[in-house]
Amino acid sequence: MRIVIIGNGVAGMEAALAVRQREPAWEITLVSEESDHFFSRTALMWVMSGQLSHRCIEPLERDVYERMGFHRVRARAVGLDLEARRVHLAGGLEPLPYDRLLIACGSRPRPGPWPGSDLPGVGHFVTHQDLAWLEEEVHGGPSHGGPPPRPRAHLEATSDESPYRFRPVARAERGGPPTRPAVIGGGLIGIEAAEVLHAAGLRPRFFIREEWFWPMALDHAESRWIAERMREHGVDVDLEHDVEALEGDGRVERVLTSEGEYDADLVVVAIGVVPNTGWLAGAGLELDRRGGLVVDAHLRAQRAGAENGSEDLGVFAAGDCASVRWFHGEHMPEQLWYTARDQGRVAARGLLGDGTATYARGHWYNSAKLFDIEYTTAGLVNMNVEGERNWFFEERGPVRSTTRVVLAGERVVGFNLLGRRWDHTVLLRWIEEHRSLAWVLDHLAEAAFDTEFVPPLVVPQGARERAPTGPAPSALPEPLAPPAV
Amino acid sequence: MDLQGQNGLMTTFREGWRSRKASAWLIALALLAFYTDLYFFDHLTEPAKALGLRSKWFLYSALYSVAMIGGAVYYLRRHGNARYNRYRIATNLGVQLVLAFLLPFVMPLLAGAPEDDYWKYEYFAASIWPLDHYKLHPSILRAVPLVLALTTVALAFLVAPLLGFFFGKRWYCSWVCGCGGLANTFGDPWRHLTATSTASWKFEKVAVHSVMFLAIVSTLLLFVDAFADTGETFHAVIAGGEWWSMKSLYGYVVGALLAGLVGVGFYPLFGPRVWCRNFCPMAALLGLTQKLGRFRIRVKPDMCISCGNCTTYCEMGIDVRSYAQSNESFTRAACVGCGMCAHVCPRGVLKLENAPTLQEDKARQRLPVVNL
Ligand SMILES: Cc1cc2nc3c(=O)[nH]c(=O)nc-3n(C[C@H](O)[C@H](O)[C@H](O)COP(=O)(O)OP(=O)(O)OC[C@H]3O[C@@H](n4cnc5c(N)ncnc54)[C@H](O)[C@@H]3O)c2cc1C
Ligand code: SF4
Ligand code: SF4
Repeated sequence: MRIVIIGNGVAGMEAALAVRQREPAWEITLVSEESDHFFSRTALMWVMSGQLSHRCIEPLERDVYERMGFHRVRARAVGLDLEARRVHLAGGLEPLPYDRLLIACGSRPRPGPWPGSDLPGVGHFVTHQDLAWLEEEVHGGPSHGGPPPRPRAHLEATSDESPYRFRPVARAERGGPPTRPAVIGGGLIGIEAAEVLHAAGLRPRFFIREEWFWPMALDHAESRWIAERMREHGVDVDLEHDVEALEGDGRVERVLTSEGEYDADLVVVAIGVVPNTGWLAGAGLELDRRGGLVVDAHLRAQRAGAENGSEDLGVFAAGDCASVRWFHGEHMPEQLWYTARDQGRVAARGLLGDGTATYARGHWYNSAKLFDIEYTTAGLVNMNVEGERNWFFEERGPVRSTTRVVLAGERVVGFNLLGRRWDHTVLLRWIEEHRSLAWVLDHLAEAAFDTEFVPPLVVPQGARERAPTGPAPSALPEPLAPPAV
Repeated sequence: MDLQGQNGLMTTFREGWRSRKASAWLIALALLAFYTDLYFFDHLTEPAKALGLRSKWFLYSALYSVAMIGGAVYYLRRHGNARYNRYRIATNLGVQLVLAFLLPFVMPLLAGAPEDDYWKYEYFAASIWPLDHYKLHPSILRAVPLVLALTTVALAFLVAPLLGFFFGKRWYCSWVCGCGGLANTFGDPWRHLTATSTASWKFEKVAVHSVMFLAIVSTLLLFVDAFADTGETFHAVIAGGEWWSMKSLYGYVVGALLAGLVGVGFYPLFGPRVWCRNFCPMAALLGLTQKLGRFRIRVKPDMCISCGNCTTYCEMGIDVRSYAQSNESFTRAACVGCGMCAHVCPRGVLKLENAPTLQEDKARQRLPVVNL
């Protein structure tokens, strides 16, 4: 049996390991344009700052490919022939035949839609090559930890539209490192980019189109604290600045926004990611409107327009590029590390020919660190749930934190928590158990995950009795029906 | 305001002196030269006397304290935002200044002992058997004041294992011990250099348990000598004071070579816990009580992003990430409970705790997302 996996990321690698565990003799080929080794994309920011080396962000020993008998192909897949079961490769390489195929090709950065988005000195922060570009711009090269192995090996077998090409560096024209960098886009990758620029001793400008930072996840009060903290660190946070163009002579020099013109000699565009499925355009697989590969509960991809499960294509998708069914019924990708890992495991069962494994994420949860403020979310937050009310408490003592409990009617359906560490599994259990606000406030300590000696969160009586207010501003236009009781 | 996590990004791998570049080698050479002089020559006795310190060892202890203070400032500026780190480093520093420097210096004076007997009162309470092997030699126990002899026995056989059982070996290795104290202050800039390979782990297991075994057996044999009818058979070999006796060899091989030269001299090249991890008999023994006891590192399920901060900054070379990725709470004998893995984890996945059972974890099982 020949298994081909496009993608050496967490989804692809998890699947490869799971298949190998069961089938020691099958031929497993991992195709990756981006890098020789599996690495944690989530950790790019620390490599940039110098907190970690490239080797540190590789979770497995480098000899795993030899030990597991995985063939590696460092080249770009440029097409797929469903009938002949072959993957076409760039660089004039022989097409790869497969019996079963897993597509785990991840995301690519959403390109800037403005004039000047291609100028030297403009880039993203999603791929290894983006990291190399930013390191080159800011530090003149990688840290003492060194570059990843064979950083340019894929350039032999790639194509023009690949997201893994190197961006043009403006360091020489600029005559050195940037002095006035800018980040565009108020999301998680944007704040990470701002943080690494700040760690390099620069004072970045952070252009955010919305009224406040990250409205998809935070409400106004929560976000105000994050912005305050960023400013304390020396980041110029420019809210409600709609970027209109990037300008410069041979390299980026200015950002034009709805609120005026700003000097900028380096621009990181972080306005989201999109499924990395451009190479599948003519393949005849069903894509959602964002380009995600539509999959069923077994993570099987399907022929465009065909009845679900009517045909066994032998093609599966997992990770950032897979459009899975969400609890509210819509198909969308889940762009998260741990969901990619879980999907890789489920897809492996399909690759093994076992049709019983299914994937269905019940609840949303996530955590992050926004500069030095811890963030945990669980359940339905900023989702405009029917009958939504929000109870909010801001702690200002030796510890500063915010606690937001989201209710649908009397039921707790979500938590949004800043400044402390929480165990999301306990929070999710309470959501499943349909707990009331009063009950949750009585039991909060059970979900605490603070490090030792951190004083526990105490909610004073007055705050406990405060009535929850109406719905939080939401990214969703239509109210969402609360999940089935 | 208290923040728990690591405060701001670190630039570790962009600093040559922390990345095994030329400057790191220079620092290592300087440290090695210092230790060579300290152990094998006598240049430091004069300056010690000039400073009113009785011997070069007190001068060494003073320099050690200064290095710890400097390192503590460095450490707390980076990681002092978390209380665990503040309390731990402050305690460790206090122990060094009071128990390892001040008290041993003044105790003979307070006791009014004659100069020849000073050594009997220079009691280093923080170095416990088997780290301080000599303390428990029957001849020493008989010579020193009774209360000190009793303290030695109580510390080694009551206090250390009990605290180890309830709080893990961290109570000693990361809160009290001078070697650990220096590692966590002066040695902190190099903590990411500890080897994490499987080979280094195999070496550690054999080496550290061999030293522990030797320490225990040799002590036992001394007691056989003292209480059975063997005369001085073992005493001559073990505590005889000849160059070939174990006491002298232990002093040279373990004390000077391993703890000093290798242990501290190679900080800038191999990380600050080479001695603690591979050779310290106390760490090995406490590791066993830790395995049986209540200390563990709890992993919050399905939240790890495999970034590797924990593994990189673990000074004992433990691959913490591998446990975090597989949702496995764990107790490793080597773990000194420095808390850094939890501190640097950007997703708050790890938590050090002393908890009686794992029962609570059962309630915190992962949610059935994947139906395999
Ligand atoms: C800066 C940043 C920070 C993040 N932080 C977090 C976080 O904190 N928490 C979290 O949950 N998630 C985070 N994410 C998201 C997370 O990294 C992704 O969800 C996850 O890595 C997706 O894994 P994957 O295996 O689907 O794809 P990827 O890791 O993107 O892997 C894609 C693979 O496909 C290969 N490939 C793609 N196209 C082709 C082709 N045409 N031919 C050949 N090979 C190809 C590439 O070489 C690569 O090996 C972050 C993402 C970024 C960019
Ligand atoms: S596992 Fe964590 S607490 Fe234990 S020694 Fe390593 S970093 Fe310190
Ligand atoms: S436990 Fe934390 S520090 Fe360690 S790899 Fe996971 S997310 Fe990173």
